[in-house]
Amino acid sequence: MATETIQPPKRSPRRRSFAPRYPGWLTAPSLIYYMIFFLGPLAILVVFSVATQAGFGSVSYTFSTSQFQALNDPLYIKVFRQTMLMAAGGTALTIAIGYPVAYWMSRYLTRYKTLALLLVIVPFWTSFLIRTYALKIILDPQGYLAHFVEWTGISNQFNVLYTGKAVAIGLAYNYLPLLILPVYASLERMDWKLVEAATDLGASPFKAFRQITLPLTLPGLITGALLVFIPMCGEYVIPQLLGGGQFAFVGTVIGSNFLGAQNWPFGSAMAIAFMVLLSIFVVIYIAFATREEQFGA
Amino acid sequence: MTERDPELKILAPIETRPRLDRLERLVRRSGGGRMTRAEALGLGGLALLAAAGCGGKTSTGGGGGGASSSGATDPLAGKPMESNLVIYNWSQYDDPSTYKSFKTQNHVAIKETYYSSNDELLAKLQAGGTGYDIIVPSQNAVGELVQLGSLMKLDKALIPNASGVESSWVKTAYDPTGDYKVVKDFGVTMFFYNNKIVTEKPTTMKQFYDLLPKYGKVGRTNLMDGAEEVVPLALMALGLDPNTGDSADLDKAKNFLLSIRNGVTTIDSSNYINDASAGKIILGQGWNGDVRRIVSARKKQGDITAVLPQDTSEKWADNWCIPATAPDPVAAHAWINHLCDPTVAVKEMEYHNYPIPIQAALDQTPAELKNDPLFNVPTSYTDHYKFILNPSQEIVNARTQIYTAFQSA
Repeated sequence: MATETIQPPKRSPRRRSFAPRYPGWLTAPSLIYYMIFFLGPLAILVVFSVATQAGFGSVSYTFSTSQFQALNDPLYIKVFRQTMLMAAGGTALTIAIGYPVAYWMSRYLTRYKTLALLLVIVPFWTSFLIRTYALKIILDPQGYLAHFVEWTGISNQFNVLYTGKAVAIGLAYNYLPLLILPVYASLERMDWKLVEAATDLGASPFKAFRQITLPLTLPGLITGALLVFIPMCGEYVIPQLLGGGQFAFVGTVIGSNFLGAQNWPFGSAMAIAFMVLLSIFVVIYIAFATREEQFGA
Repeated sequence: MTERDPELKILAPIETRPRLDRLERLVRRSGGGRMTRAEALGLGGLALLAAAGCGGKTSTGGGGGGASSSGATDPLAGKPMESNLVIYNWSQYDDPSTYKSFKTQNHVAIKETYYSSNDELLAKLQAGGTGYDIIVPSQNAVGELVQLGSLMKLDKALIPNASGVESSWVKTAYDPTGDYKVVKDFGVTMFFYNNKIVTEKPTTMKQFYDLLPKYGKVGRTNLMDGAEEVVPLALMALGLDPNTGDSADLDKAKNFLLSIRNGVTTIDSSNYINDASAGKIILGQGWNGDVRRIVSARKKQGDITAVLPQDTSEKWADNWCIPATAPDPVAAHAWINHLCDPTVAVKEMEYHNYPIPIQAALDQTPAELKNDPLFNVPTSYTDHYKFILNPSQEIVNARTQIYTAFQSA
């Protein structure tokens, strides 16, 4: 048999797999969609942010940094700071609730793992607005939870709704799955034999967690934390509904400038400035995400 | 052949339908007698052919009534009614029977779409939205639209029923000539408190604000939301002009608002009716129609006292206006005229529970409406109340900044 002569053609498909030759133009529809509906609005936002106002709701297209200068006001710096503090609080609460859940699912569930995963995502199938309104009923000072808390004697005044606590609870609740899933994924990929080895060598369970589990799942945790922190910063509905409109998030102020004052240039400048600020966190996210890629697989 | 098909089948492009409809009405009106669509169009077609055949310049309008007397000054006089009417309105703001009676009287097809805030209306119009015949802006938006030249000067000859509107509501601060709007209905901003908890008897807006720090610790207090409510209402409580652009006055309002900030639990205009009806708000502002509902919901407990502020407060009005670009101006005028008909206005008031300033209609409303000061707010109050307007973009921006400071404090 001429086995020797067949070998060379066999090698060529392997080489091809290194440089896939699918036609690049097939991505054109996606790229066009992306350019029109994502980059387009962004470009409009940038144009507005350097424009100036000319009477009611109309804009004169100039190049002016006056909107950004107006942002450099203690008031708006305070709004930025408050927003990020609230989002940080919400993220901390999300981690406190989400990490143990992910840990439990990955470590102790075997048969019902898929079901548990499904239950984590199920709330996402309901409208965000309805879930937030439902939370309002639960947190109501005359609701069942309030009666229960007062009955147990933990507190005789259950006053959570329309406070920062309610906003933090709402943020944590709505973004929880976005944290649980990446943490769960990194826990799934972890080799539990390392923890066994550590305990065999005399480490306490807590020490083993601190020295092995936590560092190995940290990239997933940071990915999840940023995945919830960034959208929390742009939150508009939750502070309005659960905070009773008395918390000015960046999103709230952008909204009142765009709609109430019809001040599109200032609203755009605020959106761009906040986007730049959040980009710093996105850079951290990308750094960790690539690190996790190197680790995980 | 006793029953003839009223639908006439003409082989013509669908675009020509409105023109044919107009022709039909025109011929019918000038003909005077009853005739079918087929006869009317046939006659009209013959007339057009004859006109074309003669090659003369014939005027197709003005055949009928004497409405064309003021022809030269008013471009709309004698023009035939269009077959469509497009209304852009707040949702559920007019009685369904109003639409029905208008359709049967005028043979006009009505199309209606809705908005939920003046901002939405203004944004739509500024983004080049045309095709609306009727819009219903509130007073501040009317002022803005007049400034922008976006409204059509109303032809009062086509709205004879508007003569019934009380004179104080014709020329208003936001429409000094009274040419651009007919008031649809109006209301005021007032406040209410739980009389089992709040023992002082506040009678003015200033007293209301001064009680906030004390009772904010006891229970929930509420202010109406939005820069255009919070800042001008505070200015009025301080005895200043709600529409001022004076920075010293605006600073005073800002400091006053910040001084009572810790007494404010919520800033909300959309959920407060339900919460207050459940007895959850002990001290709050509200619009009179809403407060009326809250008081009736708490009738059994009898713990809500509603107060029309003694000194001054806000009065607001929603208005019938026609955009300058309206494609069906004659039908739009006919609509406004229909709504000013006292019998229609009575039904409207029973439906939306806000007063229409037409005395003949107010007199016919049921006693429980007519005699309720929360519905029929006495002029002794409204005469001292002021409209909140958007005098300039700078003032609106200044208010928004104060509002942001208030919210984030």
